[in-house]
Amino acid sequence: MQGVPIEVRGLTKRFGKVSAVRGLEFTAQPGRVTGFLGPNGAGKTTTLRMLLNLVSPTSGTATIGGSNYRDLAFPSRNVGAVLEATSFHPSRRARSHLSMIAIAAGIDRDRVQEVLDLVGLSADAKRKVGGYSLGMRQRLELAGAMLGDPGVLILDEPANGLDPQGIAWLRAFLRHLASEGRTVLVSSHLLAEMAQTVDDVVIVSEGELRAEGPLSSLAAQVRPSMRVRTPEPARLVSVAKDARLVPTEVAPGIVVVDGAVPEQLGPLLASNQIVVYEMVSEHRGLEELFLELTTSLGGRS
Amino acid sequence: MIRVLRSELFKFRTTPGPWVVLAVTLVLSALGIVAAFVNPGFGVSFGAPHSIGRLRELVGAGYGAVGIVGPLIGILCVTGEYRHKVITTSLLVTPRRGVLLFAKALASGIWGIVLCVASFVLVAVMGVPLLVSEGGSVDALVRQIPPVAPGLIGAFALLAVFGVGVGALVKNQIAAVVLAIGLSLVLEPVLVELVYHFFHIELNWLPNQDAAALAGGLTRGGQNGPSVVPNELLSWWAGGLALVAWGVGTALLGYFTTFRRDVT
Ligand SMILES: Nc1ncnc2c1ncn2[C@@H]1O[C@H](COP(=O)(O)OP(=O)(O)OP(=O)(O)O)[C@@H](O)[C@H]1O
Ligand SMILES: [Mg+2]
Repeated sequence: MQGVPIEVRGLTKRFGKVSAVRGLEFTAQPGRVTGFLGPNGAGKTTTLRMLLNLVSPTSGTATIGGSNYRDLAFPSRNVGAVLEATSFHPSRRARSHLSMIAIAAGIDRDRVQEVLDLVGLSADAKRKVGGYSLGMRQRLELAGAMLGDPGVLILDEPANGLDPQGIAWLRAFLRHLASEGRTVLVSSHLLAEMAQTVDDVVIVSEGELRAEGPLSSLAAQVRPSMRVRTPEPARLVSVAKDARLVPTEVAPGIVVVDGAVPEQLGPLLASNQIVVYEMVSEHRGLEELFLELTTSLGGRS
Repeated sequence: MIRVLRSELFKFRTTPGPWVVLAVTLVLSALGIVAAFVNPGFGVSFGAPHSIGRLRELVGAGYGAVGIVGPLIGILCVTGEYRHKVITTSLLVTPRRGVLLFAKALASGIWGIVLCVASFVLVAVMGVPLLVSEGGSVDALVRQIPPVAPGLIGAFALLAVFGVGVGALVKNQIAAVVLAIGLSLVLEPVLVELVYHFFHIELNWLPNQDAAALAGGLTRGGQNGPSVVPNELLSWWAGGLALVAWGVGTALLGYFTTFRRDVT
């Protein structure tokens, strides 16, 4: 199943006086997982709902393969969506919920069992959804999205409520879908949660685009940093300073060396015969950049 | 369209609401059956109906339910989805809202017919044995089916469509129920009386008056028949058209005001 690009152009949405999305532009490409990142209230859900024709834009366009969602001949066979608010009738059984979608979408009913197996809900398929846990609902939502074997997936915080195994499974699953050539757009308010999963990032805050591009190019903007545990911190600090790095002893015996990459710092410490107990790259930088990008420019909290 | 309609009917089957409505229909129809055997007059007596009017009452025992369960089924079909946010799922599968609303109107109309048929079945399994045991004539009863059944079926179906219209207009379930059933059952007769009393105008085009007109064979069943509605009714076809207009009118109004709104 080959995906098509998701394109957002000049997208704007006002709810009365609230500007939820302002002139947003980005593209999500097939064959890649695109992380749609931003803090609470950034406008992620509103944008995804506009893509799915649930919310009408004040101006601008949000298209899938060049068409509006409502103009797709078979929406659920082209696009699968997992939305934040889980939307099930509590008295309906999980299997019936999926059958109801399959009937309306003209999808073979055999798919219902397949997607139940896929998300690991087969054993609970006959239960009423009202008795489901949050994670089970999330899985059911994902099952519904996969019913039509769509080339495009739009997921709003799909990791919500999943246990660690579930999250690991979801990550691998999203990577697998993209490797098959599908377009995967997935929102989150945590970059760290997504860093291992996404190829590209779209960062929004207060309804505006703050950064867009491959995660690797974002990571390149971040000053690298290493954390070293050593019995001779004073010597390490002076050696690092001589190499024009920025060392700080953050705790007794622990030095953070800003601007250092392992390929440089390792040989440097070896040639100076400094004993090292432990040495790791710091991811703090990426997270800090994300915070910086998404913090209110006007200083509002 | 067929797929969406089938899905809507499937949704009816897989939630308890419509089955509760069916149960209410049967209970009210049972009361209607018993009522057809109770002869008013000097001292209440229990006996088989003989007059055309009373026989028609027995055939149309479900008439007492239609004003409640008809709109209710349509309202549930729309507002139940908003209440549980199933509307999001429905709109993802069927993004064209007009198509979805139309399918809901059709499905509710069909479920309305199912309710009406259920009331007929109850008449057959409960009313007919009672009639026989009280010495009434089954032949005479059967002769009153043609004048009653089509109109009553129509009233069930069209009031259900009206319910969809009201639901699309007022997506809050309680408010819609109060509006469609409370107002039309409680306020409508009062309004009709008052307007007639003061202005000598017949408000015979309000929904329940239309349903009464459509089921006219029943409500105007001879001089012994009950005066379910005291006023002058429209002819059955005019009543039917007026009821269609109520359904289409509320649905269109609901579509353009509420149903097309953002789902967040
Ligand atoms: N129906 C609505 N009416 C009024 N304002 C709304 C509505 N829906 C969203 N908003 C506002 O739009 C802004 C963006 O909300 P949105 O839900 O898109 O954010 P989000 O990025 O998904 O946040 P979160 O991470 O918390 O899910 C918020 O200020 C929110 O209050
Ligand atoms: Mg959100």
